[in-house]
Amino acid sequence: MSYQRKHNPMRRCLIAVIFTTVAFSLAGCAHQSTNTPLYQRLGGEATIDAVVENLLYRIADDPEVVVFFANTNIDLFAESLASQLCDVSDGPCRYEGPPMDRAHQHMGLTDGHFNRLVEHLDAAMQEEGIALGARNELLGRLAPMYADIMRLQ
Amino acid sequence: MMLFQSIFTPPSSLFRHALFTSLALCLALAAAPSFAGSRILGTGGVSAIEGAAGGGLSPWAVLSSTASEQEIGVTAAATRAWVDDYRLTVTGASLNIYDRAEVSVARQTLDLETLGGELGQDIYGAKVRLLGDVLYHPWGIWSVGVQHKRLVDGTIPTALGADETSGTDVYLSTSKLLFSTVAGRNVLLNATLRNTDANQGGLLGFGGDQGSRSWVAEGSVGVFITPQWIVGAEYRQKPDNLSVAEEDDWQSLYIAYFFNKHLSLTGAWLDLGDIAGLPSQRGGYLSLQAAF
Repeated sequence: MSYQRKHNPMRRCLIAVIFTTVAFSLAGCAHQSTNTPLYQRLGGEATIDAVVENLLYRIADDPEVVVFFANTNIDLFAESLASQLCDVSDGPCRYEGPPMDRAHQHMGLTDGHFNRLVEHLDAAMQEEGIALGARNELLGRLAPMYADIMRLQ
Repeated sequence: MMLFQSIFTPPSSLFRHALFTSLALCLALAAAPSFAGSRILGTGGVSAIEGAAGGGLSPWAVLSSTASEQEIGVTAAATRAWVDDYRLTVTGASLNIYDRAEVSVARQTLDLETLGGELGQDIYGAKVRLLGDVLYHPWGIWSVGVQHKRLVDGTIPTALGADETSGTDVYLSTSKLLFSTVAGRNVLLNATLRNTDANQGGLLGFGGDQGSRSWVAEGSVGVFITPQWIVGAEYRQKPDNLSVAEEDDWQSLYIAYFFNKHLSLTGAWLDLGDIAGLPSQRGGYLSLQAAF
């Protein structure tokens, strides 16, 4: 008795290839995005400064996070963070603060603290009127810093 | 496990599902914001039909709830799928321990609306995160998992030619979020490689006259339209072990809404192909998940 299998290996293979192609082409698109530089889409210096200030208020109100800033010079930190966000978004600044691993060493940070700050930053950007696309792109550029920040915990 | 089975065997499957559903709702209502896990919204996926965190049809590498490395998360879900000649009901629960290990249990009941009767199975699952993170790691998150499945009543599957009434799947899964990829939206990719001998996920038994264990691939792509809404598609290859009940791959188009870290609702359009001799089964899918 001959039996015809509906799903031959050929079709399965094709489906696997299509999925892989879609995945890789999406990964390739990730760095193209729109033509306007991210710095401009974030709203430039004024909005970045406003986001940093907004973030600082959120940190001050969050007992789980604020403890890590007990010995921090807040003015210096605000300036340093603003220049870093400007630098990361291809703005006309150069971040000259300490490297991320040394800046956070031995603070005892957990994934929970890290995520909390990500949520505060995103909420601050949202409140300052930054569009979802620009927020996502900035978060995407900051995400790889996770490894550096957590290296010396 | 014995205790669990003895609690959930009497008296009717409807009762069991109702119990699970009300438990899930109680958990959702009881979950105060302070119990929220500290992972980012949506990073626990939803509950797949086999109980593990995933999409609808396929497990993902992420672990359920939003529990982080020092937290424990509990998730419960109630799911119903309606296709032309069948109705599937799934209730399940899972535990995330320190975002390292996930254990899950699910009860599936398939009502054979055209053929008459019902098929049911219990699925006990475990998943371990090997490495990475869906958001922050350049390689994404990688997990391995196992699902042990036991049919409630093996009479029909055995009559159709299935070799066994219980079986175990193992899988390797990876998930990765690509930031700002499509029109500034984040895209979630998942791929799962599974070794299985389950016919129709196990509801038609395990192994058969045409083969037994094989490797199958599963994948999904989803776009976070907003941080709360994700739309996408899933594909799941399946073995084809029974000559009298040809089996097709499963596919879905889904949309899920995360109300908050505690509650999500998933809807999907399913194309499950032929099931137990009845052709091209298509229909809808709804799943409510509560986590804390």
